[in-house]
Parts: sequence; C-alpha cells; structure tokens
Amino acid sequence: MLKTLLSTLALSTMLISVASAQSLTVGVQNLPPWLDPGKDFGNNGSQIYFNTFDPLILKDYSQAGAVFKPGLATAWEQISPTEFQVTLRQGVKFQNGDEMTAEDVVFSFERILKDMTPEFAGIHRQFFDNFAAVEKIDDTNVKFTTTKPEPLFEILLNTSEASIVPKNYIASLTGDPAVVEAADFDAFMLKPVGTGPYAISSFQPGENLVWSRFDGYWGDKAALEQVTLRRIPELATRVTALANGEVDLITNVPPDQIATIEGNPALKNVGNVTPLFHVAFFNTRNPTMANPKLRQALSYAIDRNLLNEALWGGEAKVPNTHTYEQFGALYTPDVVTFEYDLEEAKALLAESGYDGSTIRFDTDPVYYTNGLLAAQAIQEMWGAIGVKAEINVTTKWTGPDADMMVRNWSNPMYFADPAGSFGVMWSPKGSGTEMAWSPNEAYPALWDKFRYSTDVAVRKQAYEEIMGYIKEEMPFVVLYQPYESYGMRKGVTWAPRPGHIPYVLDFRAGSITVE
Amino acid sequence: MTEISLPLVASPVQVRKGRPHLFVTLWSRAGILTRINLVVFAAILLIAAGAQVLAPYNPDAQTLLARLKPPVGITGAQAIHPLGTDQLGRDLLARSLYGLQLTMAIALIGSLISLVLGTTLGIIAGYVRGWFGGIVMALVDVQLAVPFTLIALVVISVFGNSLPVLIITIGLAGWEVYARVVRAQVLAVARMPFVEAAVAAGAPHHRVLLKHILPNIVSPIIVVWTMTFSALILAESSLSFLGLGVQPPTATLGSMVGLGRDYLASSPWIALVPAIAIMFVSLQVLLIGDWLRDALDVRLK
Repeated sequence: MLKTLLSTLALSTMLISVASAQSLTVGVQNLPPWLDPGKDFGNNGSQIYFNTFDPLILKDYSQAGAVFKPGLATAWEQISPTEFQVTLRQGVKFQNGDEMTAEDVVFSFERILKDMTPEFAGIHRQFFDNFAAVEKIDDTNVKFTTTKPEPLFEILLNTSEASIVPKNYIASLTGDPAVVEAADFDAFMLKPVGTGPYAISSFQPGENLVWSRFDGYWGDKAALEQVTLRRIPELATRVTALANGEVDLITNVPPDQIATIEGNPALKNVGNVTPLFHVAFFNTRNPTMANPKLRQALSYAIDRNLLNEALWGGEAKVPNTHTYEQFGALYTPDVVTFEYDLEEAKALLAESGYDGSTIRFDTDPVYYTNGLLAAQAIQEMWGAIGVKAEINVTTKWTGPDADMMVRNWSNPMYFADPAGSFGVMWSPKGSGTEMAWSPNEAYPALWDKFRYSTDVAVRKQAYEEIMGYIKEEMPFVVLYQPYESYGMRKGVTWAPRPGHIPYVLDFRAGSITVE
Repeated sequence: MTEISLPLVASPVQVRKGRPHLFVTLWSRAGILTRINLVVFAAILLIAAGAQVLAPYNPDAQTLLARLKPPVGITGAQAIHPLGTDQLGRDLLARSLYGLQLTMAIALIGSLISLVLGTTLGIIAGYVRGWFGGIVMALVDVQLAVPFTLIALVVISVFGNSLPVLIITIGLAGWEVYARVVRAQVLAVARMPFVEAAVAAGAPHHRVLLKHILPNIVSPIIVVWTMTFSALILAESSLSFLGLGVQPPTATLGSMVGLGRDYLASSPWIALVPAIAIMFVSLQVLLIGDWLRDALDVRLK
C-alpha cells in the first residue's frame, strides 16, 4: 500500500516537473472583466492582447525605437497623400481554424470606425480619428483612406487596438450567425479569438485566464505549452504565492518588496522604468476645482522628487513635462510644465480664493503600484499649503463622475509619439478631456497643427505650445514614470521588452524561457 | 436571585446608594491578579483618553525620508520613534495611541448602542411576551444566523463609508445577546411576588419596568457588556482590516494592521505593534468580564 502510494507520488512529481518546463503560472495584480483589443486601452488588458492577437504591422520589440516589421501585412505603401495600400499575409489562421481574409481586416477596423459600440467609438476618437475608410481591393490587398495626410500610419497600425479579429466567428456567436449584432461583441469579449501564438482556452473575468499554445500560428510557435494567469490583488498574498512556488512569476512588485524577494535564494526580481505616467487629474468642471490657479497651486505643492526618493527608492523617473525618451526627435525634457515650488503654491492658492473646502482624492486600494501611499503623501503635501484633502479609497472608477474632484490615473504610452500618450488622454477628443476638462476654442487648431504636420520641427514647437497651455490650465499633474518590478523564480528568464507598451506579458517565442 | 441583588431590590433608593458599595464589595473580593487587571484596564482607558497629550507627534504627520524605521532595539532604529515608523514615515507610537483612542471610542459607543437597543427590546419582550416577544426573539435568531461581515458589507455599501456608519454598524452587531439574556431574566423576575405586588398596587407598566425589574437585571447586563466589548474591539479591527472601516490616513488599531500587512515580511512591526495592542486590550476586558461573571454569579445563557 505504502509502496503504491510512494510510487504514485514519485510519478506525479515527475509529471509535474516535466509539465512545468512547458508551463508557467503568473500571479497578476489585476485581470480585466472582459477582453477585446479594439475596445480597450486599459492597463489590465494591455497585459494580455499581444499573446493572442496580431496587428497588421509588428515591430522589433527588443528596442524602444520604432523599427517596423511585417505582421499580418507583408507590405504597405502610401499610394496618395491620404491613401495607403496594405498587402496581406496569406495562409494565416485564427485560433478557431478560420483563415484570415481581407474581410476580417476590413471588419476589424470598420467596427471601430463605424462606432459599433460606445467603447469602439472611444477608440475611434482617441486612436483612429483621422481614418475615413478601410476597403477591400482584392483578396490580398486592402486600402486605408485618411481624412488628412497621416504621418503616424505605421505606428497606428502597430497598436494593440488595431489587432485583427475574425468576422465570421464574431457574427456566429449570438443571434443570426451571418449578421454582426451588438450582442456578438459582448459574447466575443468572453471568448476572444485572434491570430496570435497563444489561444485563450479559458477565461474567468477578473479571476483567471489560461493560454494554450496555438499550433497553427503563422510565425514562430509559442515558447510555452500553457500559461495560467491568476489574479492575486493582495500584494502580500502575491509575494507569498511566489515564495511558496504556487506561481512562477508575479507582477506589480513595489520597490519596498524587492529586498524581500531578492533575499529569498530561490527568487529574483526584474524591474524597469515603465513607459507610463502616474498622474493626478482634476475635474475642472467641478465647481470646487474650476479655478486654474487652485489647480496650479496643487501642482506646485507636490514634491515629486521626494515621492520618488521615498516611495520608489529613487528608481522612478520624474519628468518635467508630458514627454518620454522614446519620442526621439519629439522628446522635450527641458520644457518645464510641472515643478515643486512651495512659495509659488502658497501665492497661487491665496490668489485662487480657495475657501477651505475639502478636496476629495479618489484612489483604488491596489490598482496602481504605490497608488494609495502616494495619495496619502500628496494629501499631506497639500495640507502643508493649507488645502484640506480627504482620501476616498474605492474600487469604483470615478473618472467621469460629476462629483469627482481629483483622482489618480495613468497615462500609458500607447505608441512612441506624444499623440500616443498625451494625445490619447488630453487631445480635444482625448479620454481625459472628455471626462474632466473643457479646453478653449483655440485648442483643437493647436492640436491639429501638432498632430498632422509632417515637419518634425513644427510638431515639436506646437507640442511645446500645447505644454504651455497645459501649464496654465493644469487639468492634471504628471507624477512620475513608475519603476515596475516582476518577481520570479530563478528558473524563469523573462523581462519586459523595451519596445512594448506598459505591462505587456510577452510570452512569444524568444521572449521567455522556463527551466 | 442572588444574594447581592436581593437587597438592591428591597428599595430602589438603596440601589443608587448601593452602586459604589457594589464596586467596593467586588474589589475587596478580587484577587491580586484581578486587581492588576482592573488597574491596567483603567490605565488603558486613561491613556486612550489622553492620546492628544501623550502622543509625541501628530499621528498623520509624515516624514517620508524616515520610512519603515524599526522599533528601538533593532538595528536602524531612531530614538525619536520608539515604536518605529510605518510605510509613510508616521510615528507608530503616536498612531497607536490615537488608534487606541478611536478603537476604544468606537467600541464604547457601539456597545452602548447595542446595550440600549438590546436591553429595551429584551425587557419589553420579556414583560409583554405574546406576539411582540415572539417577533423580537425571531429577530434575534435572524441576527444570529446572518454573518456580521455580510451585514456590515451591506450597510456600508448602502450608506457609504464613514465613522458614524461604522459605529452604528458595530452597535447593531451585538444587540441580540443583550435581548436574549435580558428577556430570560425578565421572564424570571416578572413573576416574583414584589413585582406582582407592584402590579396589584396599580403601578403603571413603565414604573414596574424601570423601578422594579430593571434594577434586578443590571448585573447580567454589566457582565454581557464586558463580554461583548472585546468582541466589538475585534469587530472594528476586522472591518478596518478589510478596508470597510475608517478611511486613511485616520488610524484605528484594525486599519493599522490592515495597511501593514503588505510589509509583514520586510517590516513586521507596522502590523505587529497595533496587533499586540488589540490583543492586550481585548484580553484585559475579557479577563475582567470573566471575573465579573464569577463574582456576580449569574448564569448567562
């Protein structure tokens, strides 16, 4: 009896060790409630889409710059100032077995350009506002038409939002299998299918997700047989799960925990400065927050370098303005939009006629690394100039609420251009602008000058003008680029690749090895 | 009834005079350990009341560059922060004192709410009996059957997350114990000859309840109060730990444990200092309650 038990145990241990070489379990802080790359620019979804979906244009993700590579398109060319012709890769299969066709490509964009759901309409305004039409020329060619000449065509086609989805599969999900209905998109969000190297074989929204290798993938086959994402929102639980060997990799490790992880001989920690800003944004339409002088005073009162030194061990990056190194020629580190100046803050606060009313600062308990700590530190800094703030810890997304006053948020870099980070959030149709800011009438023209000029010098100068206007209006304060770490057991070789948008868990061939 | 409460009933006038006398009697019977208990508990109450005077710092004042300093005795400690600092560089001694004050205040007010509510319902249920008593006892059973955390979650999601809501929620948590004990006592006392005599003499119901019945059931109420008080401290701590209590940065002992749990591996004192305080205070109250139960010789349930 004992012998049987022991041999069973030995056998199962062997099976586990064999399986573990091909599989990986990840403890993630957050998992989204639904998945559809065309609808979503949230940080939770960003973790997931790259493994399951392909855009038409890929790039070299091992470097921060934009070196584009063929994806589901093999070639693309500009045939007139506002027209692009894209040649599609042949023999590409979706994970459900369907072959990718020109119809799928047209449909993937049409659902966004025709605002088929409110979420698609948002992505339309914030990413593809300049796209007028996408048409099939023949089975292998598709034509994109833009309203104005589009200097960012390749960059936009490389985004996760421009991923290709299967039209027939989506149409067949509910109702009439030949017609695309709104309910089809709802069903797709829970059973998403793409052309990428990993198929999503199981998805419990907000709980777990299982990826299985897709053997019909057109490119290099996936590095792992199976990957499981488990949501573990509590930091302490996540670190414990890693130490116990329940998971192989964990996300969102704040600097305070790095020593704990590195102190364990079985574990290691890999971190990077993430191309994403943590920001605090103001609801300028709320009467309490309407005065720009008050918002400027609050901005001047935040000692961001102290936050960095104290909460991030000095590893985060504090920018002067809304700009990233990845912008290349458009990187403007010398423009000063946000700075710490206590005297200026007090003077502006006096001018603003602030009446002592309480300012509510909303934050999720866990969503942003160090978010709750930073909120409390900022509350104290505002207290130092005489502003009374209260922290409202809530898991509810209060961004668009009329009674929202200030809340923390992030501005990720969706692509390496100011339009892909500042623009998505704060352009005239940006997500933040829609929620909480009413810029003046001159702003759209200024924005267009920046967005559509083909001369880099003109764009740069226009962007500096925009930052000048932001300094006056102060609809938000950029805090820092966080230093995000991943804890993993020593047998896992993985690191976030510099060419990605923030939080992508890239497990494609060549990105990860597991022993 | 017991030998102590019988003389108390003889004349209501004597009851009022008798209260300090009761305490003196109890004190003289208390063993040395119980006396230490009582003195320590009195000291805790004084310390909690005097937090504003005793605390060396404002409990919410941050020193961001002096974060995660350990208590004195561990390498890296700073003498100006004897119990160390938390993840925002706030002094743990100051936060513990203020946290103790708020936790005790919440438990005190909460327990008074449940005491008044439970006693009132229990007295009426025991005296009136009939359908009203049935309804009250059914409510008691319902309350006992529904987990407190669920009630708290519902209340807080409906009325929001604020101190008054928290206190009332905690107050609603313990009333059923009073109602049950008090009703049982009233059922027994209401049949005693002196009560029947009062009723026969034409005394109105409220007079019978307040002058004749209530004084006889004071001791079990006191005992129940001490027994549930520590449960309320723990209830507040659990709710705050779960993030359903007071909002940061305000400190209660429970919220301090809750916010310190991420640091258990690296800076354990952040959670341990308030956790030890919770344990110590609850233990004191429980020991006193235990002793009172024996001293007053009341069968509880």
